[in-house]
Amino acid sequence: MQAGNNRVFSTALLNIEMKKIGLIITAFFIVVGLANCKKKKGSEEEEDPAAAYDKTAMLTNYADAVVIPNFQSAKVAFDSLAFAYNAFTQNLTEPNLLEVRQKYIVAYIRFQHITTSEYGPSENELVRSNFNTYPTDTLQINSNISSGVYDLATAANIDAKGFPALDFLLYGKNKTDAQIVSLFAGSTNRVTYFTNCLAEMQNKLNNIITVWNGSYRGTFLNSKGSEIGSSLGLLVNQLNYEVDLLKNGKLGIPLGKQSLGVIYPEKCEAYYAQTISVRLAKECLNNIENVYLGRSKNGNDGVGLDDYLDALNVQHNSGTLNAAIKNQFNIAKSKLALVNEPLSQDIINNPTTVDAAYVEIVKLLVLLKTDMPSALGIVITYQDGDGD
Amino acid sequence: MAFGILMLGSILRFISNGWVYSMYIKPKLFFPYYGFEWIKPFGEVGMYVVFILMAIAALCVALGFFYRVSILFFFLAFTYVELIDKTNYLNHYYFISIMSFLLIFLPAHRYFSLDVLRNKNIKATHASNYFILIIKFQVFIVYFFAGLAKINSDWLLHAQPLRIWLPAHSEMPLIGSFLTKAWVAYFFSWFGCIYDLAIPFLLFIPRFIKPTYFFVIVFHLATSLFFNIGMFPYIMIVLTSIFFSENFHITIINKIRSILKITKSETEQLLYTPVPSLKKAVFSLMCIHFAIQLVLPFRYLLYPGNLYWTEQGYRFSWRVMLMEKAGTTFFFVRDKTTGRESEIPNCDYLTPMQEKMMSTQPDMMVQYAHFLKEQYEKQGMKDPAIVAEAYVTLNGKASRLMVNKTTELSAIETNYKTKNWILPQNSDN
Repeated sequence: MQAGNNRVFSTALLNIEMKKIGLIITAFFIVVGLANCKKKKGSEEEEDPAAAYDKTAMLTNYADAVVIPNFQSAKVAFDSLAFAYNAFTQNLTEPNLLEVRQKYIVAYIRFQHITTSEYGPSENELVRSNFNTYPTDTLQINSNISSGVYDLATAANIDAKGFPALDFLLYGKNKTDAQIVSLFAGSTNRVTYFTNCLAEMQNKLNNIITVWNGSYRGTFLNSKGSEIGSSLGLLVNQLNYEVDLLKNGKLGIPLGKQSLGVIYPEKCEAYYAQTISVRLAKECLNNIENVYLGRSKNGNDGVGLDDYLDALNVQHNSGTLNAAIKNQFNIAKSKLALVNEPLSQDIINNPTTVDAAYVEIVKLLVLLKTDMPSALGIVITYQDGDGD
Repeated sequence: MAFGILMLGSILRFISNGWVYSMYIKPKLFFPYYGFEWIKPFGEVGMYVVFILMAIAALCVALGFFYRVSILFFFLAFTYVELIDKTNYLNHYYFISIMSFLLIFLPAHRYFSLDVLRNKNIKATHASNYFILIIKFQVFIVYFFAGLAKINSDWLLHAQPLRIWLPAHSEMPLIGSFLTKAWVAYFFSWFGCIYDLAIPFLLFIPRFIKPTYFFVIVFHLATSLFFNIGMFPYIMIVLTSIFFSENFHITIINKIRSILKITKSETEQLLYTPVPSLKKAVFSLMCIHFAIQLVLPFRYLLYPGNLYWTEQGYRFSWRVMLMEKAGTTFFFVRDKTTGRESEIPNCDYLTPMQEKMMSTQPDMMVQYAHFLKEQYEKQGMKDPAIVAEAYVTLNGKASRLMVNKTTELSAIETNYKTKNWILPQNSDN
């Protein structure tokens, strides 16, 4: 802040010049203003698609038709897994084991439909890392079981619980069904360990559903912006994070993409089951597409990101961005369809087939992570992860 | 004084947002500026000490207490912090550095300050108009170059990136539905361009100062409403008040006086007259400073290609809010002895902010590649080569490869030479 001022620079000449400039500029403002008023009148008849676009409808569709139903159907699957497991513990037989495995697979599949919603209560419960950190630490699991003293909530047990732990306990490595049954029969600690792992997931899922049905639905719907932390921002970020996890955790890492081509079969998701790794990857990709489209489980295609992109008339080369993304979903799905179970074998027998699927998922990632957020004014704030 | 208060606010905001940690303590590597690679962050304690001292310095500047020392320290510390990592480059941080540099040479503590209370002899009621002109000219440069930068086809003919940014706010009450209309984006684009070009001239006309300043307030408040640009609008609003006549400022000072119940002691006029030799030195320094200021924004002309795509000569040129740019960059290490290749998870080395900035800025990709090469050499790889695939989208155009795997990024030197390896952004879409 200055005191004193000798206005030696405002010479008369300069002043006159500036007034002229000022007048010209003022005139220009008026002209531009008038031109715009005219334009406004002209364009009022045309339907402006973006103006008609209703973010509330989109968020409502996501909450009520996609996110909450997916959590609920996951809960149903978890509950029936718990029911089957309880029956198994009462009567340790091979048919009962097979029943548990059946329910385990359904629950694992339904889990693939809730991972894209890791915001709000789901973020608080850290669903991805608590439910699905793999490869699982079998030494840690065995030591927990033999000691019977453990706290699943600690960081040390993050890779000794969740689905990967259930996978190991239900299938083991090179074990016959009879051997698995006798392992359960021979150790009450083992029986309890399974129960505790499952109960932890159930509790977290119940908490999430309670909060969504309580206050969070309103919070989600009321945050209508596109800024960091807005519902749309969270949704797009978590959608992309899931693509990253599909690319790296489910396919890339076992395929040796991050290890100079050295493959890691045992780093496959659901490695011990040996029958569902590819299926889980497909379910994951399907869910990503469903979220993009705003499509519910029963196939109802509601208002989603695709409609938003079209409403904003976002172009991509010669077509629309939405068309390019949908097309890329189809290509990625068709390539993934060629990959065989078990994934841990296919990365050895048919690495080029797996690689082809990987390449198309990378292309999908670029469209969803770079083009789409940029067109929607959304910032990607999460970081690429290398698996759960 | 106002500058000091604003800076104090900025620094406190910075600390309370946890940015000291996320920007200067957490990262495993930093992206220094070419020629400033020797600038390294202090540790956790050190960085907090720097920020706290900066806050104290800002307060001292505001109070006019040990003004010269405080503003000098503030300038050095602030610039030091900014030079650590170009990830955090913002035009307004650059602006603050320059302003604090200029303020070092101004006798801003010789009236209504604690320094005057300490030593009555330094008191001056009047100073040469040159001093104020220095600040005015700097503000002029900022606006004018920001306006010049807006004269490009994306901004004026396609209303980009505003056509992306404005509809994102369609949920706003009342104005929301307008923001999705194309003509609104055009209007904002043209208005912004004309505003930036006209305002610096209009500010110099005393008769127009009130309506002009009204425009300044409206413009900057609008930008702060739509865009997440922190303190900058407020800094500009306050700084442009320098264009008001001295009566305006004296009125404010008198108001503060009456609030603080300080009585005005003297009425005689005291002209601040610096030592002639010092005056000469400062004058030369200012000439050099402004010569650089006028030339620097044009250095991009030395590089071929689209400035916004390659960003060669982009920084330090008052190019604000001109790009919606995003990228996804995959880095790979290739073992040249075996030909085998691995993708590198960026999250192992970069913060989300660093990854975001690196993914669209070629010079940062090279720096990152050099860092990665060192890491793999340390891990025992004999001859690692770092390559990358960078997909970038700019102002709504489809993403395309900016860098492909044929360029060995780790073999490229960091310098100001043309980056031939940046793939061209075809203008055919």
